[in-house]
Formats: sequence, C-alpha cells, structure tokens
Amino acid sequence: MARSLSVLGRLLTVLLMLTAIFMVFAWVPNEAEQGLVQRIFYFHVACAWVAFAAFALVAVGGIFFLWLGQTVFDDLAYAAAETGMLFCTLVLITGSIWAKPIWGTWWTWDSRLTTTLILWMLYGGYLLLRALSEPTPQIARFAAVFGIVAAADVPVIIVSVRLWRTIHPAVIVTREGTHGLEDPRMVITLLVSLAAFTALLVWFLTLRMAMLRDADRLQTLMRNIALAEAALED
Amino acid sequence: MSSAPLIATDGLGKSFGTEPILRQIDLSVGAGRALLIHGRNGAGKSTLLGLLAGLLRPTAGVALLFGEAAYRLEPAKRRQLGLLTHQSFLYANLTARENLEFFARLYDISRPRPLIADWLARVGLAAAANELVRSLSRGMEQRLAWARLMLPDPQILLIDEPFTALDAEGVELAVALLNRALARGAAVVLTAHQATAPAGLAPDFRELHRGRLIAPDTRPHARALVVDPAGARVSFGAA
Amino acid sequence: MGAFGALLRKDLRLELRAGETVLTLIGLSILILVAIVFAFNPVGGAQDAATAAGALWVAMIFAGTAGATQALAAERENGCLRALLVSPLDRALLFFAKMTADLVFIAVGQTVAVIILVLFFNLDFDRRLAAMALPLALGIIGFAALTTLLAGIAGRLRAGALLLPLLAVPLFVPALIAGVKASALALAGAPLADRLIWFKILVAFDVLFTSAGYMLFESVVTEG
Repeated sequence: MARSLSVLGRLLTVLLMLTAIFMVFAWVPNEAEQGLVQRIFYFHVACAWVAFAAFALVAVGGIFFLWLGQTVFDDLAYAAAETGMLFCTLVLITGSIWAKPIWGTWWTWDSRLTTTLILWMLYGGYLLLRALSEPTPQIARFAAVFGIVAAADVPVIIVSVRLWRTIHPAVIVTREGTHGLEDPRMVITLLVSLAAFTALLVWFLTLRMAMLRDADRLQTLMRNIALAEAALED
Repeated sequence: MSSAPLIATDGLGKSFGTEPILRQIDLSVGAGRALLIHGRNGAGKSTLLGLLAGLLRPTAGVALLFGEAAYRLEPAKRRQLGLLTHQSFLYANLTARENLEFFARLYDISRPRPLIADWLARVGLAAAANELVRSLSRGMEQRLAWARLMLPDPQILLIDEPFTALDAEGVELAVALLNRALARGAAVVLTAHQATAPAGLAPDFRELHRGRLIAPDTRPHARALVVDPAGARVSFGAA
Repeated sequence: MGAFGALLRKDLRLELRAGETVLTLIGLSILILVAIVFAFNPVGGAQDAATAAGALWVAMIFAGTAGATQALAAERENGCLRALLVSPLDRALLFFAKMTADLVFIAVGQTVAVIILVLFFNLDFDRRLAAMALPLALGIIGFAALTTLLAGIAGRLRAGALLLPLLAVPLFVPALIAGVKASALALAGAPLADRLIWFKILVAFDVLFTSAGYMLFESVVTEG
C-alpha cells in the first residue's frame, strides 16, 4: 500500500514537473516589459515558497522532537533543512540570473532577496551546527532549539527588512513584486510550478528521511549486537 | 514511613552511540544503607552516578530516586539529593563562606548563617572561612566540598570515588560525615577503585564489570567455545 | 526571588573579583571602533551619524559574542553547572540570571564604547546622544537573551567559538536593523515619531528571544 502510494507520488511529481517545464518554456506568453528572462520568475517564486515552507518544517520537526522525543521528528527537521538549503540557494541563484539582464547587477538589496539571504545563512548555521558535531541526541536537541528560534525570528526579519527598504529606499529601486500577472495563463503556470516544486519537496523529504531512518536503525542494530555480544560473554 | 528504597534502578542501561557502557543494572538502596560500587577505570562508574543523579538519560530501563525517575525529578525532591564528584563544585573566586551561602540560598535553607558556621567548624575550615577557594589547599578544598554537599542535609548521597584523593585525616572526616548521614536515614552510593571500604564504614559491595553489576567474587570465569570435532558439537566450557 | 538574586549576585561578584568578561568586551569594542574609523574615515559630527550608530552596534555584536561564551564557561570550570543542575534550581530561572548578568556586562562595555564613540566621531554629550540610550538598551536586552541561549549550545561544541557568532548574527538582524536606524535617527535629532516603529521591532525581538530562552534553555543546558 505504502509502496504503490510512493510510486504514484513520484509519478505525479514527474508529471507536474514536466508540465511546469513545458508551460514555462513553451506555453506561457512573454511578459510585456521584461521579455524572455522573466520566465525564470516561475521557478524563482516556487523555489522561494519551498525554501520558506521547508524552514517551517525544520521548526515543526524540532518542536515535536523536543516534546515527544521520537527520532522521526528530528529526521524530518534535518531532511527539511538540507532540502530547504538546496532550494534557498536556487532562489538566490535564479534571483541573480534574473536581476542581471533586468537591472544590470548581479545582486540587489530588495527586501525579498535580502530576507532570503538571511534565511540562507540560518540554514547554513543549522547545517554547520550538525555537520561539525557528533550525531548525538544532544546535538539533535541543540539543532531543534536553533531551528525553532530561527523560524520564530523569520517573521520579525521579514518585517524589519521590508521597513529597512521602504523607509530608506535602495540605490537600485526594484519593482517590489512583479506579481502583476496580466494573463491568466501566467497565473496557471505559477500555480502548476508551485505544485510541482512542492511535490519535489515532498519527494526529497521522504527520500532523505528514509535514509536517516535507515541510518538510525543501523545504529540501533549495531548497539543491540554489541549488547548481545556482551551478554553472550557473560 | 515507607520501606521503599530511596535509590533504585530497574534494567538500567546506557549506550553512547553503539557502545554499551552499562547494561541491565539492577540495584536498590534503602534508608540508612550504603552501597559501594567498585570497578576499574572506564568501567562506567561515573556514568552510573550520572544516571542516578538525573544528569544523564538512560537508553534502557530507569533510575529511580524517591520512587521517581531521576531524570525528571521535581525540584522539591532534588533538594534532598546530594552529588559529589572529582570536580569540586566550588567557585574558585568566592570565599569558602560565600560558596556555602550561595548553595544554601539555592537549596532554600532558612537562616543559613549559623548552619554554615557550624559546618565550617565541623570540617575544620572556620579559620579559612573568608579565604578565596582558589587559595585553599587541595585538602581544604575537598573538605569544603564535603561541607557544601552536606549542608542541605540530603537524604540521598551519590559520591564518586570519595576516598581516592583524601589524606588519612580527610578519610576519617568523610567516614564520620557519611555515618552521620546514614544514621539520619540517608541512602548512599559510593564508587571506588578497590573493593575495600575505610574503617568505620560497612557498605554493601558490588562490582561494575563489563557494564553489569555483579556481587563480589562472582566474576564469571572466562569461557571459550569448545568444539568437539568427533561429535560435531559446539559448546561453552572452561577456558 | 532568592535563587535568582543569589545567582546574579554571585556572577557580579565573580566578575568584580577576577572578571575577564567586561575587559574583553571593552577591549574588543575599542579595537572594532578604531578599525571602523580607519576603514570609513568619517568626518565626524552630524554628517556621520549613520556611520557612528552602525559602528557602535557592530562593536556590540562582535564583542558581545566573545563575552557570552565566557559567562557560561565560568560555570563549567569546577563543574558548577552540574551542581546547579542537580540542585532544586529552576532551569528557566538560571536562564534569566545568566541573561541578566550578561546584560549588565554588555551594558558596562557599551557605556565605555559610547564614550569612545563620542571621542572618535566628534559627537556631543547632548540630548541626541541620550536619545540613543533607549534603542541601545533594548538591543542589549535582546542580544543578551539571544547569546545566553546560544552560549548554552555553543559551550558544549568543539567548534563552539566559531559557531556562536555564526548563529547569533543572522538571528540578530532585525534588532540590528532597527537598533542602528533608531540610533542614527536619534543622533541626527529626528523626532520620536519617526523612531517609534523601530522601537516596536526591538520590543518584539526582545519578547521573542526572552520567552524563547526561558522555554528552551532547559533543553540546551542538560546533558545527554
């Protein structure tokens, strides 16, 4: 049952992704002002959605892990952090690619991109914390605490960065939110892209969580073997 | 007065990663009783004390103090718990008296001054009461550590290798303090290297051997697999 | 408030007797301010209000992260932290005590830093400088809460000294933005109404991290 569900899910993800790619590259019309490069917007926004959603999952996993103590929640948090970091990096890269032909610079300090940069640094901190330490339950708790605190901070970061940019406008004034989507085909494409990337997020999460769960099972097995060996020699 | 043991464990186990340090630890210490656990270095004595004190979480089984899980002991019960390890638990830049006053406040002792003066005298530190701990000799620091331990009159005492670094006088003092506590109904768990207790103390003995707690002199003989080629049988026999 | 008072008094007394924390804070702040002056070559006075405000906050962040590790490290010496954990002390109360002590130390350090700032940037000891006190105080509170919580984590790690600023700075961004803005506006003599929005952010930040620290410190400070 679980097997067929997972196969179905992967099939669906592939389909959504192919549809999204087709729509973005072939079906949706060009945006009036920006031309061809604007198409990256559909991927850029979808990646951003995933990056922020994944961070919420890091926090949720952390909360449940601290509360209930089961490793599966920590697995969720860790998997979400790795996946989220990937997509967050993509947001920054696609943002750069988009900015260059439009504004002539590789980077702009507009509020959304800035917030994403900080999110990227928070992801980095979380992953470094885990990478530079032994994988003990205590480290998992530390990571959970950081994830929760960071996620709670994100709304405050969003607000403060937005105020930072509006009250003192940037040297390069970017058009905040190119969400004036005139054509309904644009809206549909965006929705499909969002769905496709969300499905991709779920796929990556399940993959990674399965790996983490297997590693954990292996460790438990090794521990039990060690215990049994010791008992045998008693 | 309940006769339930003050300190007890049930199938207690602790593994660090895949390494089993303690397995199937069952012990029980009632009021007025002392248990001395001996074992070689690295046997896991400090880990066991850490579990009993509620500082470490067990990976199997449970450690109980006053019938409650040590890891989740409520503050009111922690007031009656005393721990002493190799570390002094003293602030080097506070005086002897200031250290005791601080811990007295922490343990909610009302009118601590006379009690503190009492204890300083009892451990022979009345003259050095206003000296910084960092300027005390090692022996004096240890005595102060004992005073700090006993100040709140704990009902449960967990002490890691109390006699190792003490001189003869210090050992005498420690034994006297332990007996005083035992007479007041405390339960005591000590650890040591050797299976001997100083004169005046008569604890029960257990050895921590390869992660298990065994009664003295019951260390299992080394065994080996014995293969009988003729009958193609394999069994355990004496080495 | 017996235990809280005892903890706070103990930390202040220890710092007075042999304290390295405040000295570290002051020393590092001065270094950073000097470096910034060389790097930005400010003219001084009202023109460089923004740079002055920024310099002060940058100094606080980097000096502060260095100081935070020390505050908790002193407990690990002689195993006192373990003694505190075994005692009936409420772990959340321990957080408040540590945070308050850290707060006091940073405040002392920052006061000295402000004086240095006045000298380096040709400011005046006037009402505009005084108006910087509020955003600074709010920022210090949030920073103390944040670093006390993180120091509990970083203190146990091998790479702790590296990780603490790495984790602290991105988290501190909202308070940094709001604090620098409010400070710069104060120095430039802007009316209170302009600064109000930044105060709100600072307060929200402080509430967030103080409650987070209160709730999560126990998870951070207990061993395996």
